[in-house]
Amino acid sequence: MRDPEVISTDGLSKRFGERIAVEELTLAVPAGEIVGLLGPNGAGKTTTLRMLAGILAPTSGTALVDGLDPAKEPERVHESIGFLTESPGFYERLSAERNLTYFAAFYGGVDAHAAARNGIEQMGLAGRGGDKVGTFSKGMKQRLALARVLLHEPRILFLDEPTAGLDPEAARNLRELIVSLKKEGRTILLSTHNLTEAEELCDRIAVFRTRLVAIDTPGALRDRQFERRLRVRLASMTEDWLAALRAEPFVRSVERGTDGALDVRLADPDRDRPRLVTRIVEMGGQILEVREVERSLEDVYLSLIEEATE
Amino acid sequence: MRRRIWNVVHMEWAGIAATPSSLLFLAVIPALLVGQAVFLSWIVPRFVNPAILGAGAGDADTLRLLILKQFPFFVLLIPAMIANVFATLSIVEEKVTRTLEPLLATPVRTWELLVGKIVAGAVPALLVAWASAVLFAAVGFGLGWGPLLRTLFTPTFFLSMFLLMPAVSLMSFVIGVIGSSRASDAKAAQNLAVVIIFPIFALIAVQVTGLVAFTPLRTLFLSLVLLAADGLLLRAAVRLFARESIVTRWK
Repeated sequence: MRDPEVISTDGLSKRFGERIAVEELTLAVPAGEIVGLLGPNGAGKTTTLRMLAGILAPTSGTALVDGLDPAKEPERVHESIGFLTESPGFYERLSAERNLTYFAAFYGGVDAHAAARNGIEQMGLAGRGGDKVGTFSKGMKQRLALARVLLHEPRILFLDEPTAGLDPEAARNLRELIVSLKKEGRTILLSTHNLTEAEELCDRIAVFRTRLVAIDTPGALRDRQFERRLRVRLASMTEDWLAALRAEPFVRSVERGTDGALDVRLADPDRDRPRLVTRIVEMGGQILEVREVERSLEDVYLSLIEEATE
Repeated sequence: MRRRIWNVVHMEWAGIAATPSSLLFLAVIPALLVGQAVFLSWIVPRFVNPAILGAGAGDADTLRLLILKQFPFFVLLIPAMIANVFATLSIVEEKVTRTLEPLLATPVRTWELLVGKIVAGAVPALLVAWASAVLFAAVGFGLGWGPLLRTLFTPTFFLSMFLLMPAVSLMSFVIGVIGSSRASDAKAAQNLAVVIIFPIFALIAVQVTGLVAFTPLRTLFLSLVLLAADGLLLRAAVRLFARESIVTRWK
């Protein structure tokens, strides 16, 4: 049974004057899932997160976050979400602990000082709580911003480009933190430009270009966008074999690549792969390698965006 | 609700305390105004021929009293000047430091945020203004103007200090915060908030020229009108706080 949806939108749209930022977005995210929002700059990812966080009001359509309409009850929605904004934004002349205490004190039932100290420790910033935020590196600020988002232990997180501008090590640390948040059962909407990150972290990926172009698991998006192909390398090859393979009913096409390997499309790749191997061996072919051609998420993304642009 | 407002107030104060230039500003403004008032009260009767003002010879004390009587209105400039700096920066600074969006993602309401910022600025401004009045009186007594100063302590003076001044102080900060939330940068906010000063200059002008004599009743009436206007302006400030344009246009 699917977990109940904690985030859902129905025809959610946002216009800024004549410009359409988000168009007719219909989306459902069950509890405990990480959904990645991918799209070019200006595709509407941040606007979507802001509408769901009750910071921007939609022009039309509705949204429900934890059963509440962010446009009607933004403050109640804020109690159950954590929103990591694009820029961390801190009072740089004040200490990390003072900053977190300030934000924590806006939430009901939160011991602000304890939550701030705990957050600083959780994010590996123990010993720096008393230091001015202005002295922090970008990675530390981003971790502090994540601590701020978690002060009231929200079940739903909106993360807007959490690793943007971080060095590889800081980005990895942050990704590990996000994985640990998922393990705790939190539902996460993650906006990112980093496709590797999206594939590593997300259960499903939503590709945006003002409107929702596609949403599915990375594997399903690949299958949808590109037909599965096998790469077969043989010790030697004759034109007769090529013709024989093309004549097989389970083979849809066979092409010879520039490196001599065969690019084979099968009617049903999982079912027909052993049949292909058997047939080649029967013909006397020596197989060096059979592998499925991996399409990167980047290929999938670019193909989807290109389709959406046409 | 109260907890969230006080949270904003405390944070604003922490911000002021962490900024030496802000503390210096709070100390320098009253010192300058009091110093100027004392200097004028001392020098004008000493060197200006009372005859040019239509007073008779030997009317130096009358002249000094005339100047001293302006002080309760003159001191109204203090909260206005403080507001011109602190209130006008209050929202602009949040935009510049990118703290506004995380703040708007918390359960704080717009009006709580604005009231917090206004109270956080108006209270110290008021305290500084009252401290200036006490300092002025102390210096005045020290200079032997006791008998003249005693004549100032009328019901109008106390109404002006404890009702008119809080009303003016609140108004200065509300207008400053409106300017801050509508402006695109700190400089524009301060330009917009220059209007804070104008009504106070008008009050001083009216008092100095004697166009209107500020009786206790008139002072009370003016204070109540200003307090009512403060309430209306606060509502306007909440409406004018366009969070959408603030969040989307500030890059």
